[in-house]
Amino acid sequence: MVRYTLQRILALVLTFFVTMVIIFFLINSLPNTLLSTLIDFGGGPGGGGGAHVTEHTVEALMERFRWDQPLPVQFYYMMVSYLQLDFGISLVIRANVPVQEVLMQHLPVTIQLNLFTLLLIVPFGLFFGITTALLKDTVYDHAASSLVVLFISAPPFVVAALLQYFLAFRLGWFPIILAPEATLNWTRFYSMILPILALSFFPIANITRLLRAELTEALTSDFMLLARAKGQTYRQAIVGHALRNACVPLIGMILFLFIGILWGSIAIEEIFSIPGMSRILIRSINVHDYQLTLATLYFYVVVTLSFSIIADLALGIIDPRIRMGGRKDE
Amino acid sequence: MNKPILLENDKHLSNELLSLPADQFKLVVREEQIYDAEFKTEPVSYGKDVWRRFVRSRVTVVAAIFVLAIVIMGVIGPHLSQYTVTEQHWDLTRLPPRVPGLENFGIFDGTAIREIQAVNLPNWEHALVEIVEEFNHYGRTGATPFLRIRINEYHHAAYVFADNIEAGITPDPTDMYFWFGSDQLGRCLFARLWQGTRVSLILGFSVALINLSIGLIIGSMCGYYGGKFDMIMQRIMETIGSIPLIPMAILLIILMGSSLRSLLLLFLIQGWISVANGVRVQFYRFKSREYVLASRTMGAKDIRVMFKHILPNAAGTIITAVALVVPSVIFMEALLAYLGLGIEAPNPSIGVLLLNGQQNLLAYPFMIVFPGIVIVLLMLSFNLFGNGMRDAFNPALRK
Repeated sequence: MVRYTLQRILALVLTFFVTMVIIFFLINSLPNTLLSTLIDFGGGPGGGGGAHVTEHTVEALMERFRWDQPLPVQFYYMMVSYLQLDFGISLVIRANVPVQEVLMQHLPVTIQLNLFTLLLIVPFGLFFGITTALLKDTVYDHAASSLVVLFISAPPFVVAALLQYFLAFRLGWFPIILAPEATLNWTRFYSMILPILALSFFPIANITRLLRAELTEALTSDFMLLARAKGQTYRQAIVGHALRNACVPLIGMILFLFIGILWGSIAIEEIFSIPGMSRILIRSINVHDYQLTLATLYFYVVVTLSFSIIADLALGIIDPRIRMGGRKDE
Repeated sequence: MNKPILLENDKHLSNELLSLPADQFKLVVREEQIYDAEFKTEPVSYGKDVWRRFVRSRVTVVAAIFVLAIVIMGVIGPHLSQYTVTEQHWDLTRLPPRVPGLENFGIFDGTAIREIQAVNLPNWEHALVEIVEEFNHYGRTGATPFLRIRINEYHHAAYVFADNIEAGITPDPTDMYFWFGSDQLGRCLFARLWQGTRVSLILGFSVALINLSIGLIIGSMCGYYGGKFDMIMQRIMETIGSIPLIPMAILLIILMGSSLRSLLLLFLIQGWISVANGVRVQFYRFKSREYVLASRTMGAKDIRVMFKHILPNAAGTIITAVALVVPSVIFMEALLAYLGLGIEAPNPSIGVLLLNGQQNLLAYPFMIVFPGIVIVLLMLSFNLFGNGMRDAFNPALRK
C-alpha cells in the first residue's frame, strides 16, 4: 500500500507540474497582454480611459511583474511565490487586490453549489440504482431506465434552460437567477435549487445505471446463493455482499462525476448568473487579468487532480487488485 | 532482422526445440488437400453474427435510423431552406417559426402572444389573430385593463417596416416562412440548425477518425512489443491523460481562435489515449495465442501478424469507442460555447445556437427549442447506437 500510495503521489506531482508549465506558457504566449493594451490605448481598461502612461510607468510595471525577463525565469519566480502562498494581485478586475482575496469572495458559492449537488446525487443515485436492480423488468424499472438513458444524453445546460423557462419563468415557482443575498440563507438556497437540479440529473442517471448493472450481476452470482444458503436473509445478503461488491466502481464513478459537476457548473453558473469561480475565470480572460486567470485555472487543476488521487487511493484501499497493479485482462 | 520473440519467450516449448538451428526448419509439404468437415448447419461468420445481434435489438436499430437521419439532415438540411445560412434580414429578427401548410392547424403559424393595454388594441388590428385573455394590472392609479393577444409577428413586421419594404430594402415578410424562426440578425434558424449539426458532426467524426489512427498505431505497438517502450508510453499516456482538459481548452482556443482546427487539436490531445489503451489490452490478450504462433512459424512479418491476425479481435472495442466519441465531442463543444468559446461566426455549431437560444430564452423560447431537441436526439441516438454496437460485438453475450 505504501508503495502504491507513493507511486500515485509521484505521478500526481508530475502531472501537476506538467499541467502548470503548459498552462503558464500558454497564458504567456497569448498575444494580447495587459501591457500592450496599456501602451496601445494609453490607459488600462476601466482605468478612466485615456490616462497617460509614460515610458517610465511601463518600465516600472515590466520590472515589478518581471515581464522583461525570459519565461522560465518568470515561471521560477511564480513557483517560489506560490509556495509561499502568495498568488499575486489582480490587475484589472479588482486592481491591486490580492488574488486570493478575489477568489475567496467567489469560491464559497461555487463550493456550495457543488457540495449541495453531491449531497443530492448520492442518496438519489443509490435509491434509484438499488430499487431498479431489485425490481428488475417491472414497469418501474423500464420507466426509470428510459429516464436514465434520456438524462445521460441530455446536456445539463439544456436541462437548465428547460427548468429555467418552465419552473421559473412560466410557473414562477423558483427565482430565475440566483438571489443576491450575501450569506447563505433560505432565500439564497431556494434560488439555488434550480442550478442544483440542473447539475444533478446527469450524475444521478449515471449512478443509477452503474449500480443497477453491478447489482443485477451480483444478485445472480454464486456468492449470493452461498450467503442465502448459510442462512442470511435476503436483505442481509444484499447489504453485506451484493452492495459491497458494487462499491468499488461506484466510488470511482462518484469522484469522477464530481469532477464533471465542477466543470459542468461553469456553464450552469453562467446560465443562472451565479457569481462563482467561472465568472472570475471568464471575465479575467476577457480583460487579460492573467494573474487571476492563472490562479483560477490552477485552483481547478488542483481540485481535479486531488479528486483523482483520492479516487485512486480509496480504490487502492478497497480493492487489493488495484493496488497490486494487476489488470483483469492481462 | 526479424527475431521470433514469441518463440523465444514461450516457456511451453522444450529447450531442444528452441535451440534448433534455423537451417533445420523445413516447411511441411502436404501431399493431399485437407478438407474441413461439412457444416451441418448454416455457417455463421463473425460479421454475420454481429449483424444478427445488432438487428435483434430494436432500440439499437431505431437509434441507428436516427443517427442516419441526423447525418442526412446535416448534409442536405441547410439547402432545404430557401435562405442561406448567413443571409441576414435586419428588419425580420426573432420571428417565430412558420411553416406553410402546418400554419392552418394552429402550430408553426408565426404567431406570438403579447400583453398590451386594452386601449391600444386598435394599433394592433393589422396583425391581430385572437384575444386570448382580458385582465387587469393593479398599479397606483387603480386597475388598468390589459389584454393578452395573439398576433401574427410576420404581419406585424410587415406593418412596422412598411417603408423599408416599399423601398425594396426588406422583402415582404407576409409571404415569408422561417420554418424554425429567425435569429437576432434575421437569419433562418432552420438552415443554421442543420449547418450547425453538420459542423458538430464533422468535428465529431474527424476527431474519432484521427484519434482512431493514432491510438491504433501506438496501442498496437505498445501491446505487441511490450517491454520498455510500452512502459515509457504508459507513463506518458497516464500523464497526458490526467491533465484537466478544460483549462487547456480555454487557453488553446483563446490562443488559436475558435476554429474547427483548434477544436480538433484540442480533442486530439487526450482522445487517442483511450483507443490506444483498448487496442493495447487486446494485443496483450491475443498475441500469445496459438494461431499467432502458427502464423509466426510460417514466417509472417510483424506487420502482418499485427494487422491481419490480432487487430480484427479488437474491432468491436474500436468501433464502439469511435461511436461513443462523437457525442462526447459534441457535448464538449457545446460546453465550450457556453463559455463564449464556441466556433466563430459566421458558421454556427450546435453549441453556439444553444447559447444564442439561452440568451433569448425568456422572450423567444423557440430559439433554443430546436437546437435543444437536436442535441438531445444526437447524443441519445449516438449513445444508444454505441451501446448496441458494444453488445453486438461482445462475444460474451453470444447466444
